[in-house]
Amino acid sequence: MKKSNGEKWWGPYLWLLPSILLISIFVVFPILIVFRLSFSEISKAGVVGGFVGFKNYIDAVNLPAFATVMKNTFWWVISVVGLSTLLGFIIAMVMNQKFRGRKIARSILIFPWATSLVIQASVWNYIIKYEYGSLNSVLLNLGIIKEAVNWRSSYQIEFIWECAVGIFVTIPFVTFCILSGLQSIDESLYESARVDGAGFWSRLFHITLPLVRPSLSVSTVLNIIYVFNSFPIIYTMTKGAPANKTDTMITYLYMLNFYDRKKGPANALSVIGFLILCLCSGIYMITVMRKEEEA
Amino acid sequence: MRKTTAMLLSAALVTSALWGSALPAFAEEGDITLDVIICQYGPNTNEWFLGSGMDGTNFVDKFEAENPGIKLNLDVVSWNDVYTEVDTRIANNNAPDILNIDVFANYANEGLLLPVSDYCPEELYNDFFPSFIEQSVIDDTVWAVPDLASARALFYNVDMFEEVGIEVPTTWAELEDACQAILDYYEGEVYPWGIDMTTDEGQAAFAYYTWGNGGGFVDADGNWAVNSAENAEAINFALGLIEKGYTNPNPATQTRYDLQDMFAAGKLAMVIAPNQLPTYVADKGGEINMATANIPANEGKSSSSVGVMDRVMAFKDDAAPDQAARNEAIGKFLTFFYNPENYVGWVSMEGFLPAVNSAVEALVASDPSFEAWLDVLGGCQFYPTAKAEWDQVKQGVIAAEQNALTGADIQAELDALQEQLAG
Repeated sequence: MKKSNGEKWWGPYLWLLPSILLISIFVVFPILIVFRLSFSEISKAGVVGGFVGFKNYIDAVNLPAFATVMKNTFWWVISVVGLSTLLGFIIAMVMNQKFRGRKIARSILIFPWATSLVIQASVWNYIIKYEYGSLNSVLLNLGIIKEAVNWRSSYQIEFIWECAVGIFVTIPFVTFCILSGLQSIDESLYESARVDGAGFWSRLFHITLPLVRPSLSVSTVLNIIYVFNSFPIIYTMTKGAPANKTDTMITYLYMLNFYDRKKGPANALSVIGFLILCLCSGIYMITVMRKEEEA
Repeated sequence: MRKTTAMLLSAALVTSALWGSALPAFAEEGDITLDVIICQYGPNTNEWFLGSGMDGTNFVDKFEAENPGIKLNLDVVSWNDVYTEVDTRIANNNAPDILNIDVFANYANEGLLLPVSDYCPEELYNDFFPSFIEQSVIDDTVWAVPDLASARALFYNVDMFEEVGIEVPTTWAELEDACQAILDYYEGEVYPWGIDMTTDEGQAAFAYYTWGNGGGFVDADGNWAVNSAENAEAINFALGLIEKGYTNPNPATQTRYDLQDMFAAGKLAMVIAPNQLPTYVADKGGEINMATANIPANEGKSSSSVGVMDRVMAFKDDAAPDQAARNEAIGKFLTFFYNPENYVGWVSMEGFLPAVNSAVEALVASDPSFEAWLDVLGGCQFYPTAKAEWDQVKQGVIAAEQNALTGADIQAELDALQEQLAG
């Protein structure tokens, strides 16, 4: 069978072959292995034994820290994705305005995203350090505080710091996604709206938001996946301490696997996380796409 | 035609890239290749084994030159990654031939290790400190040999002690008095005492206080006894020090390295640390006039130093065509490694204490402070790493301490852990 333009039918598949091969080996195959391991008995040394049904899943859910970790994961994803999207949107709106130094501002904005997360988390660790942290130094020198403040006085506050660092490093990604959407909006739409007497909020809700929705959808779905799977910030800043109270699912399953050596439950948690992500992303995508179709 | 060729080429490229990485290292027919994993103890480890840190050459090149027919496929892996690497290799039936790590019980209990008697030459075996060898015995079989050790002691800032006018504390009561005096004198600018209850080393804190109160991880018969009254009292004492403001403020997240940094910066007066602390402080540019003392114990209880020991072990490989030749090659590796000509350089380079008698003389000659530390090492206790549940106990006591830091009752926490161990 030949296509009318002379190209063979298998042409596209051959071009796709390298990608399919790489994705199969480095993505699909490992996922299948994790699924298999989650139903297998795994020794402390890592030797894989026989099929144990849902035992690993039951063990994982019954772990004392499970509820805390799930709650932390929920707040971690909601706060980081929610606030970084809100702030990223506002910054993108500002960056979309014409002003002197806009290119420099855009370049600076990308720094937090371009730097390794481990470095970012380590730097923030030093900034908020009680003993010789730069935040205390600056505030003391400015006379805003009289004596050094312990910025990490409880695990709840430490978790808030972790979320804050998460938001800080995520903002550039959201900003640039939304900025690309904003730049594709035809300026004449705003001009017409202005002529018709539409104010800032009216233009925002009736022109900007509907037209930027595709970019916003993509950034939100990708963000949910990235943030849910984010490991370096929490591992670098607290390692989940004290007693898993600042762990999210990803850092917890790492600790479970390589510190506690409970490899079966760790694999089960990994699958649970994968399914949660598929579900959340799926629901979000379907909802947004339906709204787009309705629009 | 050109398009088809390009497509085929790109497919071939990807395939070759994938398969290329799986090709074994080049070795001549008849050679034995040993896969070796060494943990990275410091910045010099890699240079010594693979670079030019061994008098212009390296361990691998020198070994292969002196042992024709044996090739080393040696990786230096950081402590952060080594467990992941080893577990993954075991899961893929690709365990290393020789592994340098701290733990061994899980591997031995699952039948993955060779008994030391299968490969270690007798002369070398007799050279190890017997008290070290005893730490690697399960069911009367020795499964690993010690590669090096370090001992912990109390380091204190001599200048601060002189300035405040206090003596080095030997008991818990004296420790509290000293802490209060330092706190008052420096008006809170200096932490008197350092505590690390982090996920990294919370088990060491458990050992420091419980061993100093007649408790510990196990009872006199070697059975788990983590919830003894002595243990709860000891941890409550440590928590009391934190509550009274005598310590660093965040013991759940401030690691031993944070404490050592504070000590080097003159921000901490006392810290329990390994024998390498003076080198660490010097590397950080600190000029601290420091001295060592026994770790304070409760009144009437004896002080005990904490010894930390790492090991070298050999994994079984049923697929090896000639088991006897493989065992002999492993033996040659060990003999070469522990040869004083090589081993003394290795141990002193990283600032550790030796595990073999033959290295003592040369080490003491090069650094007389070694002798005092060898005495400390002789009297110290080790973690019960030969017991299969050690991982669970280690993480369990850390979690108990960290929960207690957030208000939980330590006795209840330790009771729960003991119950898990009994179950």
